[in-house]
Amino acid sequence: MAYKARLREFDNILNKDIIDLEDLKKLAFTGIPDDQGKRAICWRLLLNYLPTEKSSWSTYLKTKRDLYRQFIDEMIVTPGAKEVDGDVEDHPLSMNPDSEWQTFFKDNEVLLQIDKDVRRLCPDISFFQQPTEFPCSVVVNSMDVKRLHRRVERRVLKSANVERKGMGMTKIALSFKKANEDYAPMDEGQEAHWEVVERILFLYAKLNPGQSYVQGMNEILGPIYYTFASDPDATYREWAEADSFFCFTNLMSEIRDFFIKTLDETQCGINSMMTRMLVQLKNSDLDVWLRFQQLELRPQYYSFRWITLLLSQEFPLPDVLRIWDSLFSDEKRFNFLIYICCAMIVILRNQLLNGDFPLNLKLLQNFPPMDVQIILSKAVELSKKGF
Amino acid sequence: MAKKTYDLLFKLLLIGDSGVGKTCILFRFSDDAFTTTFISTIGIDFKIKTVELRGKKIKLQIWDTAGQERFHTITTSYYRGAMGIMLVYDISNEKSFENIVKWLRNIDEHANQDVEKMILGNKCDMDDKRTVSKERGEAIAREHGIRFMETSAKANINIERAFNELAEAILDKTAGRESGDHIDRVMVDRRQQASTSRSCCNN
Repeated sequence: MAYKARLREFDNILNKDIIDLEDLKKLAFTGIPDDQGKRAICWRLLLNYLPTEKSSWSTYLKTKRDLYRQFIDEMIVTPGAKEVDGDVEDHPLSMNPDSEWQTFFKDNEVLLQIDKDVRRLCPDISFFQQPTEFPCSVVVNSMDVKRLHRRVERRVLKSANVERKGMGMTKIALSFKKANEDYAPMDEGQEAHWEVVERILFLYAKLNPGQSYVQGMNEILGPIYYTFASDPDATYREWAEADSFFCFTNLMSEIRDFFIKTLDETQCGINSMMTRMLVQLKNSDLDVWLRFQQLELRPQYYSFRWITLLLSQEFPLPDVLRIWDSLFSDEKRFNFLIYICCAMIVILRNQLLNGDFPLNLKLLQNFPPMDVQIILSKAVELSKKGF
Repeated sequence: MAKKTYDLLFKLLLIGDSGVGKTCILFRFSDDAFTTTFISTIGIDFKIKTVELRGKKIKLQIWDTAGQERFHTITTSYYRGAMGIMLVYDISNEKSFENIVKWLRNIDEHANQDVEKMILGNKCDMDDKRTVSKERGEAIAREHGIRFMETSAKANINIERAFNELAEAILDKTAGRESGDHIDRVMVDRRQQASTSRSCCNN
């Protein structure tokens, strides 16, 4: 009953012509129902992707989705097309900095890193290895030519496979072996969700050369894409890729400083977030803080990952989604994240006060399974103390 | 938990390019298992294993690091305390081998001068994809005067041996130092350290 009432509350807010974002934040802070694609639509709003006037949604979404399609065409489909045309000015060994081939090879370095990481995204669930219902047709019907991972696939020529047959005829057989069977690419016409994620990250890196791709971005995109691509409403699910791209871009605009090494020491960089967390811990639980000081257990050792990835590696996916409901609804993003991190420590205080350095670090790096609600309630409690 | 369960504590560090198998090597060593389902390491990770060498119980505190450039500020802060460093490359990834030189420079800049080093050419089970010959691995190790081994976390080749050899090399150094006139003082220091941390635990 309470659950139904809750769904109704969301409907009340979402059915209005102009959505009151403040009301939505208040409600969503305590968790968005998993059903009816509520989370997907709320996140689109909370991440400032969808405008609040509902009447503008269809035109707005169409513009954005067309734009995304254009990105794919420009950055994934066309560069290779020149090669087919047999452009004589540009060639793989060209030293010209404007050479498309030069760009191609530079891009591949970024792509190689992305490729390694998307193949190890959320390995505990099979979702990302499954085929998407809505593959990108220009890519999947290209005889593999446009598939991004093909560009960075490692191949080895084996001399043993060179056969001589009679009249000077030479037959060379190449063997290609797939690197990771679980994340094996799909047949022509199909693609797996991890391939879609790879494309989004690649486009993001191309469009944001200042940041490019940093390990961990996959863990930020993963839950967003998962939420959008499992929306029960097919008219939205169909556009999961484009919508995730823009929501991810918006979210990154708020947290990208965590990912940039040169900003580590700045006010919005990762170090300052870790310092804030430590100050908060000192205020919330002096004993634990002292114990950490004594053991020289620095926040970099555990909270670097917590904060950079918005806790996405610490909990199972459903819990991450629930935590992110609160984070995205946080009026002052990402203050509440600091409180959650502190709550996680305070909840373990008895063990932490008794443990030595290795035990404590192991505990913090492998947070024990528990009802995420306990952590969130504790975080709210700490935030209300208002230090 | 207050009981002292080891004689010596060695801090080790695993470094190398992303995806060469650092986490898998450590997992094989600490849990004797292999899985391909590892998420990428962000920042720094940590495991412990106690081994017995020459009648001494040695607790290995092993730090696993993220490979990408971005995380170096976080990870290099731990170089200083490391007594042994394993540099890992992937025998099927040329670039990861070329970067060994870069990682060595990193060690020179950030680690203690007398840190024990070892180069590991991992994934040696994947011979059909090999692009870096064993000889090249040996050559670079010889050039820098470092131990070298080819390993496979998947096929469990040389993993334990690598850690044991590195630990033994550190033990040799420690013992060498002890054989001087500070022998007793050093030993006492260690025991004191261990007992202080023990009494803290009882607080």
